[in-house]
Amino acid sequence: MSLKRTSFLALFCILAIALLGGCAPGKGTEYKIGFVSSATGNYASLGLPEAKTAEMIQKQLDAMGGITGPDGVKHPVKIIIYDDANEADRAVSSVSRLITEDEVIAVVSSTGSGPSVAQIPVCEENKTPCISMASAKAITTDAKTNTEYQWMFKTPQTNGHAGEWQAAYLKAMGLTNICILYTNDGYGKDCFANYKAAAEAAGLSVVYEASYAATDTEFSAQMAGVQASGCQAVEIGSTPPVASLATVAVRNALPETPITLGHGVCNQSFITTAGEAAEGAVFPCGKVTVLDQLADTDPQKAVLAKYIADYTAHTSGEAISTFGGHAWDALEMVVDALGSLKNGMSLEDQRIAVRDYLENDIVNWPGISGTFTMSPADHNGLTKDSLLFVKVEAGQWVAFPETDW
Amino acid sequence: MKKLRIGPNLAGVIILAVVLALFGAIDIIRPFGLRFSDLSGRVVTIDTMIRIGILTIVVVGLNLLMGYAGQVSLGQAGFYALGAYASGILATLASRHGMLVGVADTWWWPWLAILIGMILTGLFAFLVGKPILRLKGNYLAMATLGLGFIISILSGQLSTLTGGYDGLTGIPRLRIGEFALWPAQRYYFLVWGAAIAVIVVALNIVHSRIGRALRAIHTNETAANTSGVDTEHYKVLALVISAMLASLAGSLYAHFQSAVSPSPFGFKASVELVTMAAVGGLSSIWGAPLGVAVMFILSNLLQSQIEAVFHIRGGEYELIIYGLVLVLIMIFMPQGAISSLGAWRRNARREKEGAA
Amino acid sequence: MHRKPQRQPVRLIIAALVVFGLAALSLLLGSQKGLQPQHYIQLTIDGVRAGSIYALMALGFVVVYSVTGIINFAQGEFVMLGAMICLTVNDLDLPLPPALKLIAAILAGVLLTTLIGAGMERLTIHPARRSPPVTLIIITIGVTITLRAAALLVWGADPHVLPAFTTLALEDKIFRFGGVIIQAQSLWIWGALIAILILLYFFLERTLLGKALRACAVNRRAAQLVGINPDRMALLSFALAAALGAIGGIVLGPVTRPIYDMGVMLGLRGFVSAIIGGLLSVPGVVVGGLLLGVVENIAAGVTDPAYKSVVSFIILIAILLFRPQGIIGGGEKPAEEA
Repeated sequence: MSLKRTSFLALFCILAIALLGGCAPGKGTEYKIGFVSSATGNYASLGLPEAKTAEMIQKQLDAMGGITGPDGVKHPVKIIIYDDANEADRAVSSVSRLITEDEVIAVVSSTGSGPSVAQIPVCEENKTPCISMASAKAITTDAKTNTEYQWMFKTPQTNGHAGEWQAAYLKAMGLTNICILYTNDGYGKDCFANYKAAAEAAGLSVVYEASYAATDTEFSAQMAGVQASGCQAVEIGSTPPVASLATVAVRNALPETPITLGHGVCNQSFITTAGEAAEGAVFPCGKVTVLDQLADTDPQKAVLAKYIADYTAHTSGEAISTFGGHAWDALEMVVDALGSLKNGMSLEDQRIAVRDYLENDIVNWPGISGTFTMSPADHNGLTKDSLLFVKVEAGQWVAFPETDW
Repeated sequence: MKKLRIGPNLAGVIILAVVLALFGAIDIIRPFGLRFSDLSGRVVTIDTMIRIGILTIVVVGLNLLMGYAGQVSLGQAGFYALGAYASGILATLASRHGMLVGVADTWWWPWLAILIGMILTGLFAFLVGKPILRLKGNYLAMATLGLGFIISILSGQLSTLTGGYDGLTGIPRLRIGEFALWPAQRYYFLVWGAAIAVIVVALNIVHSRIGRALRAIHTNETAANTSGVDTEHYKVLALVISAMLASLAGSLYAHFQSAVSPSPFGFKASVELVTMAAVGGLSSIWGAPLGVAVMFILSNLLQSQIEAVFHIRGGEYELIIYGLVLVLIMIFMPQGAISSLGAWRRNARREKEGAA
Repeated sequence: MHRKPQRQPVRLIIAALVVFGLAALSLLLGSQKGLQPQHYIQLTIDGVRAGSIYALMALGFVVVYSVTGIINFAQGEFVMLGAMICLTVNDLDLPLPPALKLIAAILAGVLLTTLIGAGMERLTIHPARRSPPVTLIIITIGVTITLRAAALLVWGADPHVLPAFTTLALEDKIFRFGGVIIQAQSLWIWGALIAILILLYFFLERTLLGKALRACAVNRRAAQLVGINPDRMALLSFALAAALGAIGGIVLGPVTRPIYDMGVMLGLRGFVSAIIGGLLSVPGVVVGGLLLGVVENIAAGVTDPAYKSVVSFIILIAILLFRPQGIIGGGEKPAEEA
């Protein structure tokens, strides 16, 4: 290397340092948030609205010029968005890139349960708060010790909550024997485990359970089992399109049997693809899908109305789903946590502070998926009441409160 | 003749080892705060390099099987899964099931588990290889495809053993005594150490009796058979070796991710492995690391550059271009990148000689 | 295959015993689950419906494989494209009565997909036609990735709806016989399969083009010597496979909810059917598809449906090991060495 080039390099370094130093007093350092969703792959219908919500929040933050800390310093924010195609490998790779290379303060990831569970070691070892948009219990709770992981959080309502609603409803109808059908994947299995536990806790007996692949179109095997078992109601743990096909199959085989589903079907797609078979189906849903039926006193109402308006404007009129809401909750929690940071903290301290904020200061926090109250023993912070029981009537979700059962 | 052939290979191994060691050293020392990923404009990170190393081990095996023995496997991810699950299950015996406490939580147990996994996978490949390798061409590909599928479905279904679709978590990091091979910068050296060792072993196999027998089978099985080569024996041997390598890689993967779930081992993974092998080129072991690296870098490049260049964000565009580039590579380098490189070098030399 | 030829009667007896044993096992397992006769009938009917789609898929594989020696991974995407294009045209605001609009949509779906299939051959397979088989297979994989991603871009990630042919609405007409249900769309699917088989028969046996295609499949070099252009036959085979796939997707569309990645599993099942049928024989793969559909449905019914796809791959491996030439078509030429 020639002398000239060395000196040029040195000059460049000095300039860079001076520039960085020069930035410090007026404006705070940039806050980076990592975001991974399954914008492609078999969970794309969930991951796309999540990614679009992240873009929308980035726009809003840009418009505000960033986040202002308690010391009055304004920090620009950058949300770095990756896609994992619902593959555990890509999720882990992206999260580790975000944490170690992009040096983000917190990560919101990912859409599916599988990738979300796979990323646990990366988040825990690197002491970085990670908020998942998937619902499985294993994401936040260590099955071995039955305690919460230190750095893992999640925002969706759990399948346990959905199971409780269904069990309560079926019990109120005076039924005793139920069947459970579910998709043979991480989501479906989690639904099944939770529905079964909730049903048995409520004194119902599960007389038949069977799964199907997400791509199946024939359900005669499951229907034969349902008919042979003589159960009085069918609980379905799936997302569309297979949830719609399973509903149609049950409706065709057993026209009178009540059908309950989980909150994975709370998007317009379920009603358009299940058609008349969906009529009379009942399931719990996040409030975002039934805004106009909420009481004005509901603490979430204002937040929901704003999100729906913003999202509709941002996507030029795409339908609202609960999934984008999971992303909104996760990102806005992080934004709130970042707003509590003083300028000049090290990355490590920032991560610890954000984690502590999420665990202790998210109290009665009205979001899209519910009113959150996190604690060291609960890194989800939602209860059964975050969901609203609905019934499909004339192609619409209609609130179906306990008093009407 | 033999010396001439070993020459460039030996040089290649040394150059590869030195360059990789340098890369690793950069990320540990961080001269001027420079990181390894800065070398590539943040496209290739240490994480990517480790994944390339792990898959190189699988693809070297696949290369031996496809390129030398001429047997296509569309179920290689199944063997990869067996290794990953063997390590995942055995290494968490003590913590998950409370079994073999005092043995299964020592530092050497995971290493033993890797070995056990390789032996079991090799045995499995041997048992299924005997009948399956009677099939030829596309039919063998189909049988291995079915096998891979069954393994991947079972890994999701047998949840008490495999943790179902959520998979196994809490797989410990590898250690030697008290020295942990972690963080990733350290693990990088382990993975690439293993990968280079595998390349060396494979190069030796290729230039040994076994390699010659395999090539004879590839060229003309009947002729090989009549001239006294026990074709069945060698084909099964190639399958067993490739399965054991896949298992080794699977174990390294399990300890790298610290978690194992069924999704990375499906049909798609098997297809990707074959793609990597073919893109790199089946005519030389060196095609394996090349193919894996090309596919990883392509995918990372697309992920990071599409937004920057076209101002659109979306995995769809990434995949569209990825597919097109794959097609173009195969049209213009039908024998894989390594052959094209070789041809290009020969041409360059010829021109040089012509000029002189 | 270097296996001693077994005497025909012995093989037949073994085969009969296996079939009998499996049937007895199914009945035993089924009776433990409390299955009634109508359940078995239902399982069989639905199995035949699924199998008909597999058969249509398998035909696409066979047409391409027998002429070009390529296993075309993009076959599943043709199915998806057929269904998607059809439903898109059907959703257009055309001044046509619904029935005519659907017919127009079906034609558009088949024609456009055929064009895409032909385009794929011209743009990607033709330039690489002298490459090794592995290379060509990977090219089809590349095309698959691109087509699927393009579909995600165009049609989004949500499932879509194609109306049932009989009612022209989402809800199909359902015939009930005792406890057994038959959807009207099943009849359309079977009708389509039969019609295609008849047309295919006339095309391959009675037309010059069809005969040329067959000649090419039997022996490409010889076909070339008598003046058949194998390049044109390759183009034809891809176009034909795309059309078959598109028809499969369109008749299946109302029973399923078309989505951009529907081709993955369908392609695979069709592929397994093609193998069961021996990859080279048209009647073989049709039987293969139907058999796969019925056996996996009944197996799923009497055991745990979670293992449905395991069953199909076990069948695949068993067939490969014991009858690699396929279940029927013992006289077909054996597997070509790649």
